[in-house]
Amino acid sequence: MTVEVREHQKTPLWRNATFLKWVAQIGVLIALLALFALLGREALKNFNQSGISFGWKWLSDPTGVDIREGIDTSPDSGVRALAVGMVNTLRVGISGIVAATVLGTLIGIGRLSKNWIVNKLSTIYIESIRNVPLLLQIFFWQAMALVLPQLTTDDVGTYWFKASNKGFGLAWFRTDGGFWPWMLFVVAGIVVGRYVSRYRHRIQEETGRITYPGLSWFATVIVFAAVGWFAWPILRILAPVWHGIASFFRALPPIVYPIVGAIASIGFAVLWIRNFFESRRTPAGFGKLTDDDWFRVIFAGFSGIALAIVSFVIGGFVLTTVGGDKATVAELIGRGIANVFDWFGRSFEVTSGSPIVGSRPEVIVKGAGFVNFSEGGVVMSVPFFAIWTGVTLYTASFIAEIVRGGILAVPKGQTEAAMALGLRRSQYLRLVILPQAFRIILPPMGNQYLNLMKNTSLGIAVAFPEIVQVGTTILNQTGQSLPVVLVWMGFFVTLSLGISAIVNYYNRKMMIVER
Amino acid sequence: MTMHETTPERVLGDDIVIAEGVKKWFGDFQALKGVTTRVKEREVVVIIGPSGSGKSTFIRCLNRLEAHQEGTIIIDGTELTNDLKNIEKIRSEVGMVFQQFNLFPHLTVMDNITLAPIWVRKTPKAEAEATAMELLERVGIPEQADKYPGQLSGGQQQRVAIARSLAMKPRIMLFDEPTSALDPEMIKEVLDVMKELAASGMTMLVVTHEMGFAREVADRVLFFDYGTIVEEGTPEHFFTNPQHDRTKLFLSQIL
Amino acid sequence: MTGHVVTEVTELAPEPPPKGIRVWLKENLFSTPASGVMSILALLVALAGIRGILGFIFDPTRRWEAVTYNMRLLMVQAYPAEQAIRIWFSVGTVAVLLALSLAVWRVGGRTSPRQVGGTLFAVGSLALLGGLLGPFSTTGKIGWIVVGAVLAGVGYYLRNGLGERAKEESIPVLGAVAVVIGLVLVVIWTIELPFPVRDTAGEQVVSFLPIASSTRVPWTIIALVGVASYLVMKFARDLLPAVPTRRVLVGLWVLSYPVLVLVVLRDPHVPLDRVWSFYLPLAVGFAVVGALVLNVAANRSLGELGRVIGAVALIVALASFAFQMEYVVRFLLLAFAFFSLAAPTFGGEGASRRIFLAMWAISALLIVFFYVMATSESTVEVPGAFMLGGLGLTLILSITAIVASFPIGLLLALARTSKMPLFRIMATTYIELVRGVPLITWLLVAFIMLPVALPQGVSIGGVMRAIGAMTFFSAAYLAENVRGGLQAIPKGQYEASQALGMTTSQMTVFIVLPQALRAVIPALVGQVIAIFKDTSLVTIVGLFDFLHIARAVIPGQSQPFNFLGTFREPLLFAAVVYWMFTFTFSRISLRLEKKLGVGER
Repeated sequence: MTVEVREHQKTPLWRNATFLKWVAQIGVLIALLALFALLGREALKNFNQSGISFGWKWLSDPTGVDIREGIDTSPDSGVRALAVGMVNTLRVGISGIVAATVLGTLIGIGRLSKNWIVNKLSTIYIESIRNVPLLLQIFFWQAMALVLPQLTTDDVGTYWFKASNKGFGLAWFRTDGGFWPWMLFVVAGIVVGRYVSRYRHRIQEETGRITYPGLSWFATVIVFAAVGWFAWPILRILAPVWHGIASFFRALPPIVYPIVGAIASIGFAVLWIRNFFESRRTPAGFGKLTDDDWFRVIFAGFSGIALAIVSFVIGGFVLTTVGGDKATVAELIGRGIANVFDWFGRSFEVTSGSPIVGSRPEVIVKGAGFVNFSEGGVVMSVPFFAIWTGVTLYTASFIAEIVRGGILAVPKGQTEAAMALGLRRSQYLRLVILPQAFRIILPPMGNQYLNLMKNTSLGIAVAFPEIVQVGTTILNQTGQSLPVVLVWMGFFVTLSLGISAIVNYYNRKMMIVER
Repeated sequence: MTMHETTPERVLGDDIVIAEGVKKWFGDFQALKGVTTRVKEREVVVIIGPSGSGKSTFIRCLNRLEAHQEGTIIIDGTELTNDLKNIEKIRSEVGMVFQQFNLFPHLTVMDNITLAPIWVRKTPKAEAEATAMELLERVGIPEQADKYPGQLSGGQQQRVAIARSLAMKPRIMLFDEPTSALDPEMIKEVLDVMKELAASGMTMLVVTHEMGFAREVADRVLFFDYGTIVEEGTPEHFFTNPQHDRTKLFLSQIL
Repeated sequence: MTGHVVTEVTELAPEPPPKGIRVWLKENLFSTPASGVMSILALLVALAGIRGILGFIFDPTRRWEAVTYNMRLLMVQAYPAEQAIRIWFSVGTVAVLLALSLAVWRVGGRTSPRQVGGTLFAVGSLALLGGLLGPFSTTGKIGWIVVGAVLAGVGYYLRNGLGERAKEESIPVLGAVAVVIGLVLVVIWTIELPFPVRDTAGEQVVSFLPIASSTRVPWTIIALVGVASYLVMKFARDLLPAVPTRRVLVGLWVLSYPVLVLVVLRDPHVPLDRVWSFYLPLAVGFAVVGALVLNVAANRSLGELGRVIGAVALIVALASFAFQMEYVVRFLLLAFAFFSLAAPTFGGEGASRRIFLAMWAISALLIVFFYVMATSESTVEVPGAFMLGGLGLTLILSITAIVASFPIGLLLALARTSKMPLFRIMATTYIELVRGVPLITWLLVAFIMLPVALPQGVSIGGVMRAIGAMTFFSAAYLAENVRGGLQAIPKGQYEASQALGMTTSQMTVFIVLPQALRAVIPALVGQVIAIFKDTSLVTIVGLFDFLHIARAVIPGQSQPFNFLGTFREPLLFAAVVYWMFTFTFSRISLRLEKKLGVGER
């Protein structure tokens, strides 16, 4: 006697595992959306009662915001004020990243040093800096700078370095006429140098003769830079080319930009879906797709279409420009690109000056009894000093630990194997240990860079005009809290996506090298 | 179907596992290409085959650790679909022993065995513990009840794993290469427990490379290759007179 | 043979010959010429550093009296002095719990005279160096040098003078800690620190007064009670059953925090008549009726009907928010829905069922108790919004945020590793969005946006807003930590639990979370440190936390004493206090890491 295989039994919906999973997910999603909708409605109601309606007009409206330092100290519009804030954030962030990486790496290596006193000093640095709140350290550096001597009329003059409670002036470089044409030479040197180094690398591999490919690359760049230093005025002939490109973009109908955006996003989605299906193809036809697979396909297609629509919506968005006329975003993009090329063309027309000149800080009398630094050199204001020193020293302590951990994580067998092959100490460090340590170090390092960027927002506590501080000022003046918060989020999320994209790129490159 | 005798103790009963044209894909890879077989109550079926042949996937489909995508699986009259009630019922009737033991490292041996009876079968704790002690005695390690899995040898761990499955009072036991991760001197202690279990009338599906076990205990041997059953038959037939070329090749490699 | 390994036979590795100081110097400082140059440079940096730090601290123009005078402000801000006993009671409770836990968990091993000697030698040498380099008067210099030399000498003797005995692990660590506590007590009863006073002419001058003159009695009592309770538990622990004692202690820790904050520190004025007429009957009613219903819902024979009861309870609880009623009833309904949803899977049978029902009854009573306490008016009269400021507020902020973020972070981590794509996307979006934007932005959102987004009639105080923002912020980071632990669990664990017939929730509670959490404990301690440091950001939105008092309140003081512009001294003091907390925690994290063997592959 056997049990017959009947037709498939019908599963009632309330016991169907797949169905229940989707009910739960969609249920939670709807509940969350409902919660947000409720809060949002309440917020809008409250705002309407207080007479504020959210919008983006403040971006183009003139503001009364005065910014203490940056590329523009009295910006004429909200968007310009925000741009100043963003540039300030990036200034602190990028210079902080460079400094913290150098300092952190040195201290991390010091922590591994066999030299007792260097080792102990590094340990003390790490343990004392990273265990104290960053904000407190920033306040401390501010307090330290504020007790420095005041500038008086006795201080008028030119300096290599000058510390005062108005900030620190130090000698620096400044770009001059001919900088951009010269940069073109340098870029050309980098490109040509790449080929030179590849060529010499091949020679070394073929003949075994040592040809120093890296050094030759460097030398090529130097030669190009040196030649360019004198030869840059020749590039004047390129100026009409830049202007030509500019007029091309000016003549292009604005609708092109949203169309390009839409094609890019839909094309990307189609490509992704096609690749996905390809990856599931078997000699016998397509494999079975799971719920998850279908979801991915639908989600990819949906995002592609949504992005395409968004690019048209944004492109058609009308803004009032500073000049007072109205223009769509698409038109503004076209104008912006054209302006960049025009500006490039103009900087190629200059024939006098030198690409880079030295410049020293100068203390001058500004009005009655008011003494301050003039334009010369680079002047680090007290807020900049406080926030920069704070984030740099703080992040360096974390980077040091990452570097140390990365080097320690390279297995001991690697050192022994390299020694057994007869590599010299410098060689095995460079060829064996560092590449492996770098791969371990990179992801947490990217995280620290991101943290540093985010930590610059503490500038608000010492009145350093970075994006959050500028945003708060605008918010207080206009009451446009939601849009300002959205700008903050957009800025930082873009930043973190950018940094993680770079880290992922290098990570993937390393992985390929590994295989 | 007539009942037939194999050994005096074991009388085969009705079909308890029915698989009809079972197919399963992992993304683009088809692991099962239509497996059809039936297992009777109290039968011991040994499944052999090269690695990647789909034999593990097949028995993992039988308690829905993997969901099959086409075909029908019926366990003790209940069809395996995405019906939660059926899955629940089948899982509590089918016990499974893994290659890597998969004991819960944060629980003592006793807690490992009693956890599921208490929370899935809703057995009162005292009763579950008494059963657990009986089972530990049956697999020969009652003195280890309060130790943690990490303190036991591989063979002891696998015996605890068998006891843990038996504590749910299953009607069918699946073994997925239960001795492959063991040192040679521990294999016998696990095989002895499995032989005793077979003699007691448990329905067993065993994926293994232990040909001695297959010869001695199995009622039937299935040979899997490329996701299908290439050949099946009694152990005598199988080890003395295999029909298929691939079976011959495989046996010549491992015997 | 039952594994008794004879260890005495094992031969110790031959001891390397003792090295002289010259060999040590050669190996550690001057092994190569480059190393020698580096050593000299580093030594100069170190000497300059010591001299600079001491010069800064002991500079006669430093105004440390700004810190000593404002100590109470720094610790608790404006908590009324006549109710200070409540704070001492809270601190004492924590000290006693800590002492009991140290005894019950048998924390603290032994250390060798060699190590203690090394520490003493280092401290002594530093003091000696400080005496030589510091800007002290002659008597001061001599004092420093003598103390330093004595300490260094004792340390050197312990390290090198005891021979083989120096390596025996003969000194209990907790004993050493007790000695340090004793020394601190001696210090607060003897040493004097600068303090501002008014002279006869009414001018503000600095005098020297004993440290902690108003608080040394309570501190001494607390220290003695702590040590005493440790000793009592040390003898009692062998008489008590180990596992239940630990469970009781964990329960006390969990309960102590809300009770101390809501009841002891707030001292609420409880409306007793309403408790008798409404709250108590409500609590008991819910506990009893709920237990009866849960007992039915947990029955296995009920099958799917058990889940229907849970679903109905959930709908009722959600619907209750649409009708007018006291919040406590809504909370009770929500808790009941939670329990009845869990009943079919976690209800058990026999003893497990009784524990389940008891847990419900206790939860119902606790919900009502804490609701009544939290909604009753506080009798602590403090000018300003919140009863505690200073270090007290910093601690409350960080503890509440970390505790509250724990369940959210757990759920987020589970959702992010779930097989269900929508849950995964929601969790990932939340986590990446929150982590991508700095905390200060979220604090500003909570202080600027939240008040307008709330329904009318609901308002949240500043402290609660900060706690909310920090909770949701910390949850995202916590989720990433827990995710690491979840991913470390072998696939076989899931398969084994499924093969045994466990439901997803049973598998999560019994198998997955215990293992995942154990693996991420050190990372979680790291998270506690981060949150503790991050609480300092609330000073930007104007809360009177520890940093705000140190950096804004004290330097702005002109009455009764004038400390205007005194920025650096309070900041340095605050830095030292923050450092002591975080350093302790990071050591705990290291210890746990070693003990749990995490991080070793």
